[in-house]
Amino acid sequence: MRGPKIGLLQFFSLTLLFELGTALLVNVGMVSGRDAWISILVGCMAGLVIFAGYAYLYKLYPDMPLSRYAREILGKHLGAAVAILYVVMFMNTAGRDLRDGSALLVMATLHRTPILVVGALMILSCAYVLHKGIEVLARTSLIFLFLALSIGAIFTVLALLSGEMEWKRLFPVLGDGFLPVAISVVRQNYMFPFGEIICFTMLMPYLSNDRKGVWVIPAAMLLAGLLISYTSIVNITVLGSDMVERSPFPLLSTISKLALSELIQRLDILVVMLLIIGVFFKIAVFYGAALVGISDLFGLPYRTMIYPSALIILFSSILNARSLTEHLDEGGQLLSDVLPFFTIVIPTALIIVANFRRYRSASRPG
Amino acid sequence: MKYSEYINRGGKRKKASNETSSKIGQGAAPKISKDLKQMLDNIERELGASPDLTIRHVQIGGEDPLQAATVYMDGLVNSVAVNDFVMRSLLENSVVTSPDMSRVPEEILQFILNRALELGDAKIKSDWNDMMIAILSGYTLILLDGCNKAIVGDTKGGEGRSITEPSSQLVIRGPKDAFVESVNTNISLIRRRIKSPKLWFEFMNIGTVTNTDVAILYIKDRADDKIVDEVRTRLKKIDIEAVLESSYIEQLIQDKVFTPFPTLYNTERPDVVAANLLEGRIALIVDGTPFVLILPTVFAQFFQSTDDYAQRFDIATLMRLVRYISFIILLLGPSIYIALTTFHYEMIPTPMLISLLAQRENVPFPAAIEAVLMEIAFEILREAGTRMPRAVGQTVSVVGALILGQAVVEAGIITPVMVIVVALTGIASFAIPAYNLAIAGRIIRFGFIIVASLFGFYGITLGLIVLVAHLNSLRSFGVPYLSPFSPFSLRGQKDTLVRVPMWMISLRPHKTKNADNTASIDDGLSSSGKDGRTDA
Repeated sequence: MRGPKIGLLQFFSLTLLFELGTALLVNVGMVSGRDAWISILVGCMAGLVIFAGYAYLYKLYPDMPLSRYAREILGKHLGAAVAILYVVMFMNTAGRDLRDGSALLVMATLHRTPILVVGALMILSCAYVLHKGIEVLARTSLIFLFLALSIGAIFTVLALLSGEMEWKRLFPVLGDGFLPVAISVVRQNYMFPFGEIICFTMLMPYLSNDRKGVWVIPAAMLLAGLLISYTSIVNITVLGSDMVERSPFPLLSTISKLALSELIQRLDILVVMLLIIGVFFKIAVFYGAALVGISDLFGLPYRTMIYPSALIILFSSILNARSLTEHLDEGGQLLSDVLPFFTIVIPTALIIVANFRRYRSASRPG
Repeated sequence: MKYSEYINRGGKRKKASNETSSKIGQGAAPKISKDLKQMLDNIERELGASPDLTIRHVQIGGEDPLQAATVYMDGLVNSVAVNDFVMRSLLENSVVTSPDMSRVPEEILQFILNRALELGDAKIKSDWNDMMIAILSGYTLILLDGCNKAIVGDTKGGEGRSITEPSSQLVIRGPKDAFVESVNTNISLIRRRIKSPKLWFEFMNIGTVTNTDVAILYIKDRADDKIVDEVRTRLKKIDIEAVLESSYIEQLIQDKVFTPFPTLYNTERPDVVAANLLEGRIALIVDGTPFVLILPTVFAQFFQSTDDYAQRFDIATLMRLVRYISFIILLLGPSIYIALTTFHYEMIPTPMLISLLAQRENVPFPAAIEAVLMEIAFEILREAGTRMPRAVGQTVSVVGALILGQAVVEAGIITPVMVIVVALTGIASFAIPAYNLAIAGRIIRFGFIIVASLFGFYGITLGLIVLVAHLNSLRSFGVPYLSPFSPFSLRGQKDTLVRVPMWMISLRPHKTKNADNTASIDDGLSSSGKDGRTDA
């Protein structure tokens, strides 16, 4: 693929921010109660296995995005149909994340601002950054990763010094057996946020070092899994699993409990900043993946479709669901029923067909 | 490159574009005449019989003297040189040393040049444009009757400002000399610091009317050849009538026009230029201004100062950090205050919040309006102070800062805390060594005030993301503007946020051969080439 390449470190930071994105804030794996942190780690492992499949496809077609090698493997028409499905899925997910983010912001700080305005500001910022190019997005992510990690460090110090953490809230580990963890993993954790890595199949051709570079993505996924799991542990030790289960944004509740004497208290805004950064990069990556897909499918220049796509994402974020409850409900269904089709079924089919074709063409005489 | 050579190049360049723009001599050929009187008339007519044009008739040779003349602009030449070297050699030397002088004027001219003229830099010219530019640059023309060529002798002189202390980039410890308006003096200031045969420079002639000399300086083998070539091509593309300051050049060759951030560094300190040359950068010296351009430039460079290298590394690091922090205060100070007081007051400790609210009670405006009003007042004060005569300047600061600031609080228009915030951002803007970066920060600050007043920290965070993305999209001659932060390079960190001890710094540029970096530089150059064309 032509165009600017993205360095390994930048790719790493983009993946990490993408994975942390919303997952740090919302309630991940709460079906498994106080063992959520285990289900996150297991989900991460499952995600790594799924990613191995994408990496395999990438090894076969190192300079093509998913939308192109789908057509290469499945033939022009079927492949194009699959590619369009993916583009729609990416845009829809971007819209869903936009709704997540703007709903949370309206809930947390901007109580009287219309959700459309909040969403519009976010998607316009994404459009601006993507207009500058995917490479710029990746380099920007590097700087905001530093910011996000330093917020994480502040959070950690605060949690340790405030004396609110009670380790006994974590015990007994696996008190109800492994079953709740397994259910949580199957319903949610391997897809969110780790299965969503599927959209990086559209961006991997930009990787500057295509021989050895792929490992940065699983490395980032693993680190993200550890960080999300760690956050979950802190949430549970500070709040107790009961409160975490009932809280839509446990991190926000946690940080509001942490304080150092009179001086440092209510650092909620740091978490909100973390949320904005995470949501931004999540939306931007999905949005960018959709744009790469569109430009690849229809042969359009990458930049022409930025603002039309922004409109589609913005309105789909508003019109997808009538209320936040419906939105979250839809999200759960998508995660368990629809997303696996995109992240597992189609890639598996692609791998099988690709191998079959290679086998046939190899065995053919001549 | 010698003057005479570049004058040739300039002449060629002009001939090529002669059709499009008016030149000193249209239709060069007919103006040159073998007849001395005719030729002098032509020159006088061309220059509008200017009173400072000096024509001195002389006679060469003993019995049957040959008519000759010297032509120069009074005030541009060094009269000692003209009197002692040109006139004496024509009047004395040629007579004494030429008993068997040939009678062909061309040969006499050659003879004068080779045997008589006591000048270091002298050439024979036959092109009308070259002669005109030479006269206007302070050269002396020697014309002979019956010959259509002329000797052009370097007698440049005239009054210029002498080297003084820099007026804009002051240091506590470090060299005290600054550039002046003459390009030759400026080059000598750098040559004196870098006594290396590798220090190369080239001249270019830019400006169809002003014919301004622009020198490209670099250290061969340290500067990237690709970037040197790119500078040359961009300079050649410039089509402008007048170059009166290096900022003219800066605006015509920068990668991107629509950005508040400077992508070329300018300085009037020779030591800064020398250090940058040693780091592999390229300097552009423009005649007529003490401000020298340095490129390619990265963001971190605007936070460096000569002082950093004169002080111990730990002190220097502290100073660096102070500068970065003041840039952040400059950008975000008022907007964070607005966001805190309008959207996120729960973050302010309660006792402080109570005192803040008590202040706000008497004030009619929301915090955003307050901030904008105060910032505008501050900008007006600053603008008024800049060009004030020194005697009046004090009045401005007393009336503005003290009286206005106090009265506005007592009248209950602005809260005292807002005055503190605005004053702090104002002072922070002075802590940044580079004036043009501070201006960029001041402009962007207003954008942040607006988004903060509408969206609080949400707006500020998104604004920061957009700002960083914008900075990331900038390139200066192909080099990413935010390097070495992003793309990240560990080696580059030695002299950016911190300054490590001197023994760890090597000036030599690290041309990392990893695919990452070089690819992006190539890419940047090719894409900026397009931009450059639209700009210039």
